[in-house]
Amino acid sequence: MKEKKRFLLLLGLVFVHLLLISIQVPKGNEPAYFERALFSVFGPVEHGVVSFFRGVKDFWRNYAYSRDVEQQNRSLRDEAFRLRQENLALKNLLLKFQGSKEIQDLLSTVSRSILVASVIGIDPGQIHKSIRLNKGTADGVRRDMVVLNRMGQLVGRIVEPVSSRESRVQLISDEDSGVGVLTERFRVVGILQGDAEGRCRLKYVVKTNREVTVDEEVLTSGLDGIYPSGVPVGRIVSVAEDTDLFKKIVVAPYFDLSDLDQVAVLTADLRGLS
Amino acid sequence: MKHIAEGVVGIVLAVVLQTVLGKLSASLLIVFNAFSWVVLYFGLTRHEVLGAFMGTACGLLQDSFSMGVFGVGGLTKTLLGFGAGYISRKINVAPVTRTYVFSLVIAAVELLLWKSLVLFLFGERFSSAGGLILLQPPVTALVVTVAFQVGRRMEARRS
Repeated sequence: MKEKKRFLLLLGLVFVHLLLISIQVPKGNEPAYFERALFSVFGPVEHGVVSFFRGVKDFWRNYAYSRDVEQQNRSLRDEAFRLRQENLALKNLLLKFQGSKEIQDLLSTVSRSILVASVIGIDPGQIHKSIRLNKGTADGVRRDMVVLNRMGQLVGRIVEPVSSRESRVQLISDEDSGVGVLTERFRVVGILQGDAEGRCRLKYVVKTNREVTVDEEVLTSGLDGIYPSGVPVGRIVSVAEDTDLFKKIVVAPYFDLSDLDQVAVLTADLRGLS
Repeated sequence: MKHIAEGVVGIVLAVVLQTVLGKLSASLLIVFNAFSWVVLYFGLTRHEVLGAFMGTACGLLQDSFSMGVFGVGGLTKTLLGFGAGYISRKINVAPVTRTYVFSLVIAAVELLLWKSLVLFLFGERFSSAGGLILLQPPVTALVVTVAFQVGRRMEARRS
């Protein structure tokens, strides 16, 4: 191929990319069709790789230990995971109910709303932005569903694209994420936003406020219309003042990327219950 | 046809490597970028046309796994693949030191371009992970140099 043709090819490819970038502008955060297609095609590859390595790991374990013990251990671990999620959600919610009928309804709703998913991938561009799960629309996963870690602490929410077997989670440490939160002791309300480095900023707390202190726990407020109230989010690690109207408050999220193998997706809207 | 098959194998390999690295540790994804390895390797060995196509495929794939602006990774990786192929045809990059230095420079330029586009054009901050991201170009260059030299020796033996 002649050199001129090669450069024309490069120009063509650059044009295609510029086109792809520009068609996203009117769509906002909505992913392009091509992005959805790639996600759907290569998501299963990722899924398969993770399943393969998990299979190899399990196979090795089964040989190294007794097969029955390992299976029992696994099912008990899964059961403990589900129960911990249920327990934490119920602790917050039960206090608000008195009638046994209401409690029965609540128990069955919460129990049905927890879907255990495995993390199959981390955002290759920015690790604190998003993760991918091995559950999709076929498992009942939908956009804006809340995702918690194994301790029932907030991880993020489901965002597009969601394919039939895989989905994407926007982490609370993402700069574009916004969570309505309040502090545990004095119920100071603010918006939590990621700082792209794995930590978060508690925004819109006025400088004159003296009630926010270091080491205080931050919980979801439920005011954002997405996350249910009372979910633990993180802990305040620094409070500073500058020339702005608002304080500079840094929050360390509870969830840890290195310990995020399994997560719980809340498939039902628990906001009405809280 | 052979080139297409090689390209598909390269893309699948990049996805597999990236997934395995992510499962081992999230921080590894800051230092290791398997998509860049594959694009740079194809650029060096198959020159600019296949390098550019591999850049487009791997870059867009990386974008589809990311939450950033779709197309930015594709654009910079296309330029990486084309640049690596074009320059390596003009100058001799076969000696080990030259392969390393060339790969280092071109990987650093790609990273700089990618992060600059994300930062200045789209106003998104990126995680430098305490400067850990600066290790990405030297590591990419090292991996590509090893793969390139091993590939050359294997080809020399065959012929």
